[in-house]
Amino acid sequence: MVGVTHYLVLSAAVFAIGVFGILTRRNALLFLMSVELMLNAANINLVAFSLHYGNLSGQVFALFVMALAAAEVAIGLGIILVLDRNFGGIDVTVPTTMRR
Amino acid sequence: MTGAFDFAPAIALLPLAAFAVALFGGNYLPKRGALAGITALAGSLVLSLWALVTVAGGETYHADLYTFVAGQDTLSLHLGILIDPLSALMLVIVSLIALLVFVFSLGYMNDEGETGLPRYYAELGLFSFSMLAFVFADNLLMAFMFFELVGLCSYLLIGFWFREEGPSSAAKKAFLVTRFGDYFFLVGTVGIFATFGTGMFAGAESFPHMAEQALAGEHSVRTFLGLGEQAWFTVLGLLVLGGVIGKSAQFPLHTWLPDAMEGPTPVSALIHAATMVAAGVYLVARMYGFYLLSPTALGVIALVGGFTALFAASMALVKQELKQVLAYSTISQYGYMMLALGGGGYVAAVFHLTTHAIFKALLFLGAGAVIIAMHHNENMWDMGGLKEKMPVTYYAFLSGSLALAGIFPFAGFWSKDEVLYETLIHGLGGSPLLLAGYAMGLLAVAFTGFYTFRMVFLTFHGDARTEQAEDPHGVRWNVKLPLAVLGILAAVAGVINLAPVEKVTGIHLTFLHDWLDMAPDSFGTAVHHYGDISPYSAAYLGGETGTVLLGAAVSLGLALLGAGLAYRLYAVPDPEEHTDRLGSLKTLLMNNYYQDEYQVWLARDVTLPLSRKADTFDQSVIDGVVNATSSVSLFAGERVRRIQTGLVTHYATLITLSLVALLVVFGYLGGWF
Repeated sequence: MVGVTHYLVLSAAVFAIGVFGILTRRNALLFLMSVELMLNAANINLVAFSLHYGNLSGQVFALFVMALAAAEVAIGLGIILVLDRNFGGIDVTVPTTMRR
Repeated sequence: MTGAFDFAPAIALLPLAAFAVALFGGNYLPKRGALAGITALAGSLVLSLWALVTVAGGETYHADLYTFVAGQDTLSLHLGILIDPLSALMLVIVSLIALLVFVFSLGYMNDEGETGLPRYYAELGLFSFSMLAFVFADNLLMAFMFFELVGLCSYLLIGFWFREEGPSSAAKKAFLVTRFGDYFFLVGTVGIFATFGTGMFAGAESFPHMAEQALAGEHSVRTFLGLGEQAWFTVLGLLVLGGVIGKSAQFPLHTWLPDAMEGPTPVSALIHAATMVAAGVYLVARMYGFYLLSPTALGVIALVGGFTALFAASMALVKQELKQVLAYSTISQYGYMMLALGGGGYVAAVFHLTTHAIFKALLFLGAGAVIIAMHHNENMWDMGGLKEKMPVTYYAFLSGSLALAGIFPFAGFWSKDEVLYETLIHGLGGSPLLLAGYAMGLLAVAFTGFYTFRMVFLTFHGDARTEQAEDPHGVRWNVKLPLAVLGILAAVAGVINLAPVEKVTGIHLTFLHDWLDMAPDSFGTAVHHYGDISPYSAAYLGGETGTVLLGAAVSLGLALLGAGLAYRLYAVPDPEEHTDRLGSLKTLLMNNYYQDEYQVWLARDVTLPLSRKADTFDQSVIDGVVNATSSVSLFAGERVRRIQTGLVTHYATLITLSLVALLVVFGYLGGWF
C-alpha cells in the first residue's frame, strides 16, 4: 500500500534536487528547471494530502500552481533572453552590475 | 441707528487706503499722494472728534472686529476696538498731528523738490494706520502687532534718504534697539496670555481685573517659575515695560532717538516726538490697572522716568544742532511721563502726553521751517537773527518753547507741574523712591529752561552769523498753517486740566480728570478705580494748598532760573559757546555719556565672543553627539553591505541557509526534537 509517507519522501527528494541545482549550477536555464522541480515538489505534497484527506481543494490548488509555473517560466525565459543579449551568455555569475 | 462707533474702524482704515493709493498711484497724482493722505487724515480726525463727542455723551465702545484664532475652551486671539475716554483722546491727538504733518510735508518735501515722494506719503499713511489701530486696540496681542508695525514704519521713514550712509545706519540702529526692548514685550505678552488666558485691557474678563481679583484671593490664576502671584505680576509688568522703555526711548534704550533725527523733519515731528514714542507711555497708561498692582514695577517706572528726564536734559544742554536738542528734550519729557505713571499720577501723565504731543510737534515743525530757511543747515551756531525774517515761525516756536520750558501759563507749565506735584505728594506719603524721582525731575526743569532758551536765542536772536541766515529761504502757507494751529494750542491747551487753580480757588477746572473718569465701571479703567487700587498715599507740606503753591513756585522758579541764565548768556548780538567752560564735563555730555560706545562695546566685546563660544559648543558638542550617532549606523551599514555580492547563487545560498536556520530554531523552541 502506498501511503502519504511515500509521496512525502518523493516530494522531499525532488525538492532537494531542485535546491541542489540552484546552489550549484551556473547556467540560468538549469536554474529555471530547478525552480520548476521545487514547485512540483510542492505540488506532489498538495496532491498527496488531498488524496489522504479525501478533499479535492488540494488538487485544485495544484492546478493553479501549474498555471502560475507556466507564467513564471514565460517571464524566466524572457529574463534569460535579455541576459544573453546583454552579457553574451547565460552564466548567472557574470552579471553583478546590480551590486551597487 | 448709526453712530460714531459704527465708523470706528474707518479711523484707522482711511490712512491705510491712503497708503495704498500713494503707493500704487502716487506717481500719477498731482501732489504725489499728499492729497490722498491729507483727505484720509482729515476724515480720521473728523471721525475721531465724532467719537470723542460721543464718548463725552457717556457712551463707550468695545467690539470684536475679527477673530483669527478661535479657541475651544482656551484663549482666542482677535482684533478688537476699545474706545474709552483715554483712547478717544489719543485718537484725536494722533489724527490731528498726523494731518498737520501731512500738510507741513507739502512745504518740507514737495516744495523742496524731493524725489521718492509716493514712497514717503505711503509710509506716512501706513504709520498713521498702525498708530491709530494701536491706540484703539482692545487686547495686548493686537497692541503688540501694531506696536511692531509703527516700529517698522519708523525704520522705513528714518531711512527715507537711504542712499546716504547716515540715515540708513540710523534706521538700522533704531530698529535694532527698539526690537531689543520688544523681545521682552513679546515674552511678557505670551506670559500674560498664559497666566490669564486673555489679553483684554478692559472689562470683567480683562487681565488687570483678573489680576486684581487674584490678589484679593477671589480668583486663582496660573503662575510660573514657582513665584507667588504678586511677584509674578511684577515680572510680567517689567517684561512688558521692556518694550515701553525701547519705544519711549527711556534709559538705557534711549540711544536710537537722537540718531533717528536723520529722517525728514516732519517724520521726526510725527513719529519721534508726538506719537510713536508716546506709544510706550500710552501702553503703560492703557494697562495701568495692572501696573498699580505691583508697587515694585511702579517704583522701577518712576525711577527710570526720573533718571531719564534728568539724564537726557543734561545732554541737551550742549548740543549744537537744533534737532538734537529737541531729540534729547523729547527723551527727557517722556521721562516725566514715566515718572508720573510710576508715581501714581495717571491723569498727570496723560495730561503731559497731550500737551507734549502738541508743543513738541510744534517745535519740530518749527525746526523744520528753520531748516528750510537755512537751506538744510541744522547747526544753531550758523543761525541767529531769524526772528525778524520769519515772524510766524518765531512766535509759534516761542510758544512751543515756553510750553516746553514750563513757563506760566503755557500748556507745559500745567502738565509738568501736575506731574511733579503728584510725584511729590505720593513721595511724601511714604515713598522715598518717588522723592528721589521728584528731585531729579525738579533739577531737569532748570536744565529744560536753559537748553530751551539757549536754542531759541541762538536760532532767532542776535545777528545773523552766516550768509544763509542773512538771506533765509521763504516758507509758504503749508508750513505756516500747521505752526499757527499748534502754536495757539501750545499756549492754551493747559486749560483742560488746571488742577492747581482748582485746589487754590475751589473752582472746578480739572476737565481732563473728569474726562478720564468717565470710563464705565465695567471697564475698570476709570480714574477713581485707579485711585482705589493705588498703593500710594498722599501727604502734604503745609496743607494741600500750601503744597500746590510751593510745588508750582519751585518748578516755575527753576524754569525761570534756567531760562534767565540762557538769556544772560545767549541773548546778545554775538554769543559765545559758554558751555565750553564746563571743560571735560562738556566733552562727556557731547559724547552722550559714551552710551553709544558702551553699547557697541557690549555688542562687540561681550556678546560677540559669547556667541562665538556658544557656536563652538554647538558645533563640537551638540553636532558631535548627532554625528557620532550617525557614524555608528554608517559603519554598520558599510560592513553589512559586503554580503551584497550581486551573485544570484550567493543570494540563493543565503536564503536556503537562513530558512534552515529558522526551521532549526523554530523546531528547537517548538520542542520537535
